[in-house]
Amino acid sequence: MVKAYLGVDIGSVSTNIVALSPEGEVLSKQYSRTNGQPIECVKEGLKTLKKEIPDIEVLGVGTTGSGRQIAGILLGADVVKNEITAHATASIFYNPDVSTIFEIGGQDSKIIFIKNKCVVDFAMNTVCAAGTGSFLDHQAERLKVPIEQFGDMAAKSTEEVRIAGRCTVFAESDMIAKQQFGFSKPDIIKGLCEALVRNYINNLGRGHELKPPFMFQGGVAANSGIKAAFEKETGCEVMVPKYFNVMGAIGIALLAKNYIEKTGNKTSFEGFECADKELKPRTFRCEGCANMCEVVEVIYDGQISARWGDKCGKWTNALLVKTKKAKEKEKELAVK
Amino acid sequence: MKVSFPHMGTQVFYKKLMDMIGLDYIMPPAPTKKTIDLGVKYSPEFACFPYKVLLGTYIEALEAGADTILTSGGSGPCRAGLYAELHKKTLRSLGYNVDFIVFDDIGRDPKMFFDNVRKIKGNKSWFEAVKIFYTAYRIAKAVDNLQRVVQIRRAYEITPGSFDAAFKDVMQDFSDNANSLKDIKKLYKKNLKVLENVPITKIPPKNERVRIGIVGEIYVVMEPSVNMNIAEELNKLGCEVSTSMYISEWIDHAVIPKIFRKKSGKYLVDDSKKYLEMQIGGHECHNIGNMIEYKKQGYDGIVHLMPFGCLPELVTQTLAPKISSDNNLPILTLSLDEQTGIANNLTRIEAFVDLLRKNK
Repeated sequence: MVKAYLGVDIGSVSTNIVALSPEGEVLSKQYSRTNGQPIECVKEGLKTLKKEIPDIEVLGVGTTGSGRQIAGILLGADVVKNEITAHATASIFYNPDVSTIFEIGGQDSKIIFIKNKCVVDFAMNTVCAAGTGSFLDHQAERLKVPIEQFGDMAAKSTEEVRIAGRCTVFAESDMIAKQQFGFSKPDIIKGLCEALVRNYINNLGRGHELKPPFMFQGGVAANSGIKAAFEKETGCEVMVPKYFNVMGAIGIALLAKNYIEKTGNKTSFEGFECADKELKPRTFRCEGCANMCEVVEVIYDGQISARWGDKCGKWTNALLVKTKKAKEKEKELAVK
Repeated sequence: MKVSFPHMGTQVFYKKLMDMIGLDYIMPPAPTKKTIDLGVKYSPEFACFPYKVLLGTYIEALEAGADTILTSGGSGPCRAGLYAELHKKTLRSLGYNVDFIVFDDIGRDPKMFFDNVRKIKGNKSWFEAVKIFYTAYRIAKAVDNLQRVVQIRRAYEITPGSFDAAFKDVMQDFSDNANSLKDIKKLYKKNLKVLENVPITKIPPKNERVRIGIVGEIYVVMEPSVNMNIAEELNKLGCEVSTSMYISEWIDHAVIPKIFRKKSGKYLVDDSKKYLEMQIGGHECHNIGNMIEYKKQGYDGIVHLMPFGCLPELVTQTLAPKISSDNNLPILTLSLDEQTGIANNLTRIEAFVDLLRKNK
């Protein structure tokens, strides 16, 4: 039997699954496009993993990313946690001295500040996707350069081109203007990378001192042009970890491991069979008040297993009260 | 005259005040999605979020039969001082025949202030009016204190929703039975017991309890229906919460002379001097002062709420990194408006709580 902890990170663009040995070794990793179907994506990933390591024994499971709730239900996750904590955990595991983490994913970007192996502050992009992978994807398409070649192209640049990076729409019109001036593709790509980094640091690093050592992770870290732009902007070396694109999944697997080891609980993992079970969300409108909340109900294997979306907690609480967990907690911990 | 007013925080205070004066009134409905939609529809895009919610609330109250709005004014660069005038214009252009009674800072125009009081006190004597106001204030104080208890104990709630249900009954009890100072004292004691008897898990030792202070723009701090019910969300994550702004405190700060440093909130303004030399119109000085005060009381972190585009709080947000590093106090700023995506903010809140727990 191969003992392993599973970490699943369901993002807007990619879904990542890793299996970690109890010593923290990466046994298997998958990075796949979500394509708007997180549940299918996780199910496929599980099947692939089972094929890769047929005699795997799962000791614990954690889920993170924007699809963490629903994946948590599907898998019976032990730990369901936000991606900031997950990313920080993984970075600190690989580089305990790290003090600033740049993370750029498909549709969000974060900066995390670490002191003494603890997160002390963080920022996430708010209303604008200007500093994210989707922006680069979009521009790559416009330039007809595969995104994988962005880094190498940028390295060939000979001229400095400054592209306005404040806003995707403005960046695009500025880029077109620069194209019309006759700048080469490599110059423009390098300019784009620098614009993205400048925008990222202005937005997220605002008011903070950026202290090395730096670590750069997330899908966009595959792009050496961005890494170079970060190094130019900070004036320091920026480290890209080996498993940069699945750091969130590694982090959540580590958190699941900590949780299981600390509590001594047995995992609540549903087993690999869950890839064949049916999980279906359905929504209805609550007519209880003028809020008219859209309540999401998850039907898993024929049973309602989760609800969310109601502002007042009427539906969520009704379900929570019924679950066995709440009753056990009551018995165990009630004080007279 | 049938009056209505903004929906801000616990409603018992307003209701009892109106009852005792004997005014005809419409209780404003708690802001819902519909309220916000109405407000947004008739507000300038760049008006602050509270302006939009209040406009929606007024429209709903006027539709229910109110014809006069009671509200507070403001002085200084904060746009709240303009609200009443703009609201009046907008509402009248929408065809509502509405009057506004605006209570401004008494020092600025004492005559107008007393004229306004005269308008609502009717044929009650000045002595009676003061007594009524004081009684209502004591009710606010009692209810606010009970709410503080809820915001701490709810972190350890066993049955989801049990504290909300209990607190609803508490408010009903005050609303039905609090008519004199003696009643209030009795009701407070009785209801404190009620809340203390709501079953909770064992409260962990002091070094494991995570305590968070909420500061920010007064309306979004006090009104749970526009701040994603942040206090309860934090409670659900097992954190004890303290809100820096309550109605009774707001009255304290507005009414009590500044020579009483503690009660008038003057000490908060003094504490903020290090970061902000002057007051800029909102509650920014109190908020900075409160952040420092929370640190002194051993709180672990601050959640700072601001409406998107709020000038005074934007200044506070910019100062936050410095306040945070000087005082070794994590601060999370959340900006709220009608576009707020809850999921995104919940991720931030959860990560913030993880951060606080880890740093203990």
